[in-house]
Amino acid sequence: MSNGNQASDMSEGSSGDEYAVSVPEGRGRDRDADGEASTIIESRDLSVWYNDEQALQSVSMEIPEKRVTAMVGPSGCGKSTYLRSINRMNDLIDAARVEGEMLFNGKNVYDDDVDPVALRRRIGMVFQQPNPFPKSIYDNVAYGLRLQDRTENLDEKVEEALRKAALWDEVKDQLDQSGLDLSGGQQQRLCIARAIAVDPEVVLMDEPASALDPVATSKIEDLIDEMAEEFTVIIVTHNMQQAARISDKTAVFLTGGELVEFDDTDKVFENPENDRVEDYITGKFG
Amino acid sequence: MSDTDEFGRVSRRVGQLFRGVLLASTLAGILTLAVLLVYVANDAFRPLTADPGWHLTFLLTFVLPTLGVGWWSYQRSYGTLTTGLLGIMLPTIAALYAGGLAALFIDVIPTLVWLSFVVAFAIPVGVVVALDRTERDIPFLAEITAVLAVTAGSLLFVPDLVQGLPTVPADWMVLVLTIGIPEALLLGRWTRGRWGRRAGLTTGAGIVVGSAVAGVLGTVTGVGAIPGVALALFAGVPTALYLSVVAIERPERRAGLLLPAVIVGGALVGELFVGALGFAGPESWVDWGFLTSTVQRGADPGAVGIYSGIVGTILLMFTVAAIAIPAGVGAAVYLEEYAPDTTVTRIIDVNISNLAGVPSVVYGLLGLGLFVRYGGAQTGTLLVGGATLALLVFPIVIISAREAIRAVPDSARQASYGMGATRWQTVKNVVLPRAFPGILTGTILALSRAIGETAPLLVIGAAQVFGVPDSWNSTVGAMPLQLYVWASTYASPAFYTTVLAAGIVVLLTAMLSMNSIAIYVRNHYEQR
Repeated sequence: MSNGNQASDMSEGSSGDEYAVSVPEGRGRDRDADGEASTIIESRDLSVWYNDEQALQSVSMEIPEKRVTAMVGPSGCGKSTYLRSINRMNDLIDAARVEGEMLFNGKNVYDDDVDPVALRRRIGMVFQQPNPFPKSIYDNVAYGLRLQDRTENLDEKVEEALRKAALWDEVKDQLDQSGLDLSGGQQQRLCIARAIAVDPEVVLMDEPASALDPVATSKIEDLIDEMAEEFTVIIVTHNMQQAARISDKTAVFLTGGELVEFDDTDKVFENPENDRVEDYITGKFG
Repeated sequence: MSDTDEFGRVSRRVGQLFRGVLLASTLAGILTLAVLLVYVANDAFRPLTADPGWHLTFLLTFVLPTLGVGWWSYQRSYGTLTTGLLGIMLPTIAALYAGGLAALFIDVIPTLVWLSFVVAFAIPVGVVVALDRTERDIPFLAEITAVLAVTAGSLLFVPDLVQGLPTVPADWMVLVLTIGIPEALLLGRWTRGRWGRRAGLTTGAGIVVGSAVAGVLGTVTGVGAIPGVALALFAGVPTALYLSVVAIERPERRAGLLLPAVIVGGALVGELFVGALGFAGPESWVDWGFLTSTVQRGADPGAVGIYSGIVGTILLMFTVAAIAIPAGVGAAVYLEEYAPDTTVTRIIDVNISNLAGVPSVVYGLLGLGLFVRYGGAQTGTLLVGGATLALLVFPIVIISAREAIRAVPDSARQASYGMGATRWQTVKNVVLPRAFPGILTGTILALSRAIGETAPLLVIGAAQVFGVPDSWNSTVGAMPLQLYVWASTYASPAFYTTVLAAGIVVLLTAMLSMNSIAIYVRNHYEQR
């Protein structure tokens, strides 16, 4: 289990009797009926170092298109690092160094001819703390479109993004007010609207609900569920129940940057391959 | 037996001693400053030369009502008081700066020259806008070349062309045209965004018409056309706008506007009574004659004035700002946003911090060596003086701008980069707008340091008697230099307690008004 653990074999293990997290019916798991999705992101032996400290240990994983993939694990397990190495946000940290391959639609994003800025225009990102710009709601959503000079029919695109983010009805009369005047949950949905306004193929979410109250969290979760119709969503979360509720696939990272289990969500939660994963999701450690 | 006996007591004697020492040192600082200011103000304004009746009249009509209304506003709410204070500070400080600007146009820059250069710069700006709006795809290099060519050509030929026009517009027309109309467009857009289309149109039209009327009125009343327009555009318009904002958006603070009304009204009523009753005012040394006289030497302190110093200081500040702000902010942006964290950049960091502490006389010597010895410039000119003072404030601008940029939260940059913004787009759209208030505050504070410098000007060979400069190459002086001259070369008791004190008051007023603007900007944006 030291490296290259792509724990995706489908063998039926003995069904564990006790699991702390029950997987509700409906929600994301329904999409499994659609059958196998094609892979949009694939990492091969991806390792990341911060200076001399290894944050990811040759992680290999195939992330399906138009599904919700959750990454769970204790603090410092490398799940956020993995997320940020998909759209090369780690490039912004001087000390970070990447080895291995991260394939996006079959192309290694760490190849020399890949422009990280162009890459990030196709892979949107939502952060832990809602971080709207101190601009109007409209300008926040239009930000990415304006960056790319895609300003024809801007009004419609902004409205569409706000509708998709389930925010339109709440803010349609105050589009010129500052995004910072919204509540925390609304701010986070504004950030989601901002991310999806440019029609990315993938939306990365780094613990998008951890700074929010339960009601706002549940709205975000509903939203993620709907977003998977159109986008590939990869979400990092601390919250086991959340991962169980909203994701189709779950990757469990454990301390040291190891991917120890990656499989369909119900499989991971009901019948994990790895004992440490079972201990973790049942709350024995972590 | 009570509980406290069982617990015992903990000694606070050392702590109380410490607190006492802290209080004493605070009071010592404040008292020294207060005594100094009172001493200087007494020499400058000579309040004791006035009739007791004069004092009594103004106490009754001005001081007591002001204190009363101020206290009443404070009781209502803190916001009411600050609204009132701003209502009186804004027009006062704005009028000071409008006066400075008017002096600039009267003495140094003929309005026609100003107009010619505005036109010369407007042409390339128009080309840039046109290129930006055009649908056609023009290669970036061609665009840049075209813009540079138009700029160079326009600067070469247009000024002469405009200055050679057979009919010349009047001074006030030029100012309304070049400053009033852009201001009207800018503020009209702002009010339209805030209160709708009609408010925008009213604002724009009001500014243009109002400044034109002020120009005509200024000519008629003898104030002068240029001061009239400058006061209208730089003091009248901001004040009116501020009053509108309070009246429309802050109904709960409207009561605060009583304070400026009482201050202005009280002063006018007091003046009326004093005139009617024949009470003589103080024989202040700070008077219109002192502010506008260009005589710098002589036995009679009553004849000399600080006008050359004021104009020199204004010109120097413009020069310093034009050199040090772009360079300093540019360096700060580079060091914060672009430069990698290497040993070299760390050495640069430390050196910039050290440069900020180098004595100003050393900068004077640097300026002398750099610009006069090697650059071949004349000693003591406006350009050399401005460039030398710019060197002096350069590290201060860099440091304060870097702090402002560093205060922009990283989450804002992450959000921008995460959206696929380039570094340039992130700096332009996210970092600079958020750092702007901090950069502005730091820059104003840096300029207010430069305004008080004497040593560098002496070292670069500024003349002890300097006129009002009329070009980049004329010798320049400044207010602190003027004070130094009055205190040394013409040193006599007749100067010590008279115009010297008055000069100090003028210099401190200019400096403190700059600092108060900086503090206001900082507080205003910190609340957000």
